[in-house]
Amino acid sequence: MFKKLIEESTGKSPWLFHINAGSCNGCDIELVSVLTPRYDAERLGFQLAGSPRHADIVVVTGPITRQSLNRVLRTIEQVPEPRCIVTMGSCPQSGNVFRGSYAIAGPLSKYVHVDVDVAGCTPKPEAVIDGLALAAKILQEKRRAMN
Amino acid sequence: MSMLSYQHFPIYAILVLFLGAFVITAFGRKPTVRHIVAMLCASCSLLLLLALITPVMLRGETIAYWLGNRVPAGGYAIGIALEVDALNLFFGLLVTLALFVSTLYSLQYMTRDEHQGEYYTLLMLLGGGVLGMVLSGDIFNMYVMVEILTFSAVALTAFRSKVYGALEAAFKYLVVGSIGSTCILAGVIMLYAQAHTLNFAQLSALIPGNMTPATKVAFALLLVGFATKSFIVPFHPLAADAHGAAPASISVLISGVLTKSGLYGIIRLVYMLFGTMQLGSIQLMLVFVGSVSMFVCVTMALAQHDFKRLLAFHSISQIGYVLTAVGLATGLGLSAGLYHAMNHTLFKGLLFLAAGAVLHETGTTDLDKLGGLSKRMPHTTVLFLIGAFSISGIPPFNGFASKWMIYQATYQKAVESGNIGYVLVTVVALVTSTLTLASFVKVTQSVFFGQLPKELENVKEVPIGMRLAMGVFALLCVLTGLFPNLVTTYLTEPASRAALDALGYINSMMGAGYAESVMANPPAALAVNFAASGVWAPVNWLLLLCVTLLGVTVVASLGKYESVSEHSGERVSAKYQLFYGGEENWDAQVGGGDMFWGFKHNWRHYFSFMHDLHSGIVNDYAQWALVALALAVVYLQIVL
Amino acid sequence: MTTILNALLYLGYILIYPGFLFCFFIGLLLCGIDRKLVARMQKRVGPPILQPFYDFFKLLGKETIIPAAANRTVYLLAPLLGLAALVTIQLMVPVFGFTAFSGMADVIVILYLLLIPALATIMGAAASGSPYAGVGLSREMVTILACELPLLMVLLAIAKSVGNAMGTGLCFSLSEIAAYQSAHGSLLFHPSMIPAALAFLLVIPGETGSHPFDAAEAETEICEGMLAEYSGKPLGVYKLSHAIKLLTMTSLFVALFLGGLGTGIVVLDAVIQVALCTVVTVIMISFVHAITARLRIEQIFKFYWTAVAGLALISLVLAWFGL
Repeated sequence: MFKKLIEESTGKSPWLFHINAGSCNGCDIELVSVLTPRYDAERLGFQLAGSPRHADIVVVTGPITRQSLNRVLRTIEQVPEPRCIVTMGSCPQSGNVFRGSYAIAGPLSKYVHVDVDVAGCTPKPEAVIDGLALAAKILQEKRRAMN
Repeated sequence: MSMLSYQHFPIYAILVLFLGAFVITAFGRKPTVRHIVAMLCASCSLLLLLALITPVMLRGETIAYWLGNRVPAGGYAIGIALEVDALNLFFGLLVTLALFVSTLYSLQYMTRDEHQGEYYTLLMLLGGGVLGMVLSGDIFNMYVMVEILTFSAVALTAFRSKVYGALEAAFKYLVVGSIGSTCILAGVIMLYAQAHTLNFAQLSALIPGNMTPATKVAFALLLVGFATKSFIVPFHPLAADAHGAAPASISVLISGVLTKSGLYGIIRLVYMLFGTMQLGSIQLMLVFVGSVSMFVCVTMALAQHDFKRLLAFHSISQIGYVLTAVGLATGLGLSAGLYHAMNHTLFKGLLFLAAGAVLHETGTTDLDKLGGLSKRMPHTTVLFLIGAFSISGIPPFNGFASKWMIYQATYQKAVESGNIGYVLVTVVALVTSTLTLASFVKVTQSVFFGQLPKELENVKEVPIGMRLAMGVFALLCVLTGLFPNLVTTYLTEPASRAALDALGYINSMMGAGYAESVMANPPAALAVNFAASGVWAPVNWLLLLCVTLLGVTVVASLGKYESVSEHSGERVSAKYQLFYGGEENWDAQVGGGDMFWGFKHNWRHYFSFMHDLHSGIVNDYAQWALVALALAVVYLQIVL
Repeated sequence: MTTILNALLYLGYILIYPGFLFCFFIGLLLCGIDRKLVARMQKRVGPPILQPFYDFFKLLGKETIIPAAANRTVYLLAPLLGLAALVTIQLMVPVFGFTAFSGMADVIVILYLLLIPALATIMGAAASGSPYAGVGLSREMVTILACELPLLMVLLAIAKSVGNAMGTGLCFSLSEIAAYQSAHGSLLFHPSMIPAALAFLLVIPGETGSHPFDAAEAETEICEGMLAEYSGKPLGVYKLSHAIKLLTMTSLFVALFLGGLGTGIVVLDAVIQVALCTVVTVIMISFVHAITARLRIEQIFKFYWTAVAGLALISLVLAWFGL
């Protein structure tokens, strides 16, 4: 019964940790707008966590600059299992307009397994919520697999 | 009277320490010899006084002992006397206990020092001096013992003379301590000139009804003299320097024993010798000085970033509690004050020993350079935490029981006397207690928890003997906290009754009926109420907490609370590093220096004032002593 | 036979009401109501009322990572100790006429017992080794310091006021305060106690670390401060303790100022108590949360030592002169 309860709860209470890996700040603003009264992701249980240790879903924005690469990977490592990695915006997925730059180490999927990609520059809040909801489902699956 | 009768025990207890001092000087070149002699003397002295608990505390006897059997003749006490009632014995027990533990600790703590023969000699002299002072029945011997203890304490402060500041601290102590001793001597002389006797009991009979301006001056001199010995404000800067420089085992004695001798002197003066405790003005004076000491010193402690200096200021802050409680002149207050005095010896001793352990292993007591020691010194950490919780008054440790009684006593006093000023004392006492907690949270965080600096990787736990010494204090801290009723019934209430019963004291010394024949209106032993208006049942509470904790733990372990991911191996992988914005192994220990900014910022004017005031110049401190003396003289002339 | 029954009864108190089960459900429920209401006040839909339960159970299913710098024992034990200490306090708080464990501690002791859960958190935070936790615990300690003064003055005012009325001059016993209120009506309706009640209400958000007094747990500035390195089950226990602390503080308020509203029937009393606690939570936690922004730590300190302590002082002086 408890296992079932924990599994159910895992899908219903995903906490986000946001990493800015050289983003232009567009995605960062949109991510915050997801939590505003207009879109209110908290109704699905989403909450911004202050520390990676509390997080379930890591949201990465920005094209993963060389300077930030190690920091991003280390922070992702520090998130306890089960965890989900969501890339937000086109930058972490393809490099976007920064692609080919000497300063870019991305895409993120070269280094870690990315669960959800939310494309767009920047993605609409609806798309972000959709992606996060998907991530929450994946999270629940991962938790089930841990049993 | 046979040689083994308990009447002789007090003088044996003193003698054995002084003899020990000589034996160690003469034959103590070998470590084993001096260790054995020191331990033997300290434990003999403790056992002798423990044996007196039954007759004195439980049966309420008073031992009047005349050296050479020179009993009073013709109504005048000429001989040297020891008088042991419950109050003396109470303080004597604290002294010998602290001396015993300190000696035990020294055995392994002092191994790296030179001149250990001298160290143990001075240690025994210090112990003997304080014990002699609190057991003495005549005021001139008190003065002699005060000199012995002051000079051995000064010498011990300077013992590690190669440590920066040790000689300076000793010099400051010497200067102001001598002013104090001189005050006591001058007071004794003036009393002798007035009453033609030095015997405490006889003075107590002759002085109270016949106060002259000269006796009032003597009163002020003696009060200030004993106040310097207990380091209360304005004599507190000395203690900080002395504790900072002295070995930890000596700090235990300076804070746990020396300050008690001063307190003992003050209690005897105000309650008995001058019989002035029923006066509101005297109560006000003691409570005021006590409250100021309590608050000023705790704020001074908050600003320190050296472990031992911080402890030194806390020590005086706690003495402030005792003085406040004693100054209330109620049964509950006196009992609470003595209880706190005992607890102070226990937890302060424990904390100084823990600081000594840290110094012993790491070579520093600077809070900004330490950190994370709990992984290297787990036992010391636990023992320190017990001490820290005790002094901060966290239930169920002993500091809470006595502080709680002090709050009750001050508030009861406020209600009974109708003086709303005493409410302020309750508030100051509680705020001080919380500030104490804050200060010890700072120490805990910056010494024992947090990150371990690279230089301290190889630190080890201290030797077993030192842990044992700390363990004795820690155990007593817990026990006296859990059974406050036993402590008050068998220790502090008999002692308080003895302090209040001037008549009994005089008559048991000078012969029955003496006080009535000399005094116009002999003081009746006050009927006092020891009942607290509050409720606190620590054992029940602890049981309840244990049951709930057990419940929580069982549920937690059923839920696999213990299954955790932990780092293993040499290199710490990213997962187990601390989160620091993604940086690697950032050494960012939060130091003790500026931990409570939110508090200090609001009090910045006060702190900068205090900072400027404490110049560290001995001339200033000597001036403070003289100003305090002048104020005391004027105040007592006015109010008495 | 009766001893066994008694033991069972006390076990029931500890495990069910007003012990663990009650604390668990009502505490988390209060938290959920708070979150929902804040959301509604901000014109959001808000999380479901059961959200804190989901959060708690989710955390139970997460991995617990112990940082290499942490002291394992203290890190794991501190949350449990804090939880146990909180439940213990809840067991001693009278619910109108009923007290599970009476005669054990008076109001001043309760003041100190409230320190233990906070201290457990502080010790756990220090043991985790994180610099953020170091900053957090220093702020938490200042917040405790800030709350302690007004709280003490409120308690002294109550002790004096009740003591005056009972003719003993002083009354520190919780159950006697409760008994007095059931005989003479709630203290909240005594004119001299209104400022004290207000001061106590203002202390509640400070003690529970909610807006605007949550500098110690500021998630955006210092990564949730004291809990920065906690994850998984210990974090869940902390979240639970936080929720229970909400219940403890509000039920203390109910016991001290709203006593005498009970009916004498334990079950009904429990319902009334929960309802009153909810009202207090809504007013002092949710409402204040929705309309304020976080204060800096020295502003928190100043606020409590001037405004709130001033309110408490008014009551104390009024009680002193027997009004």
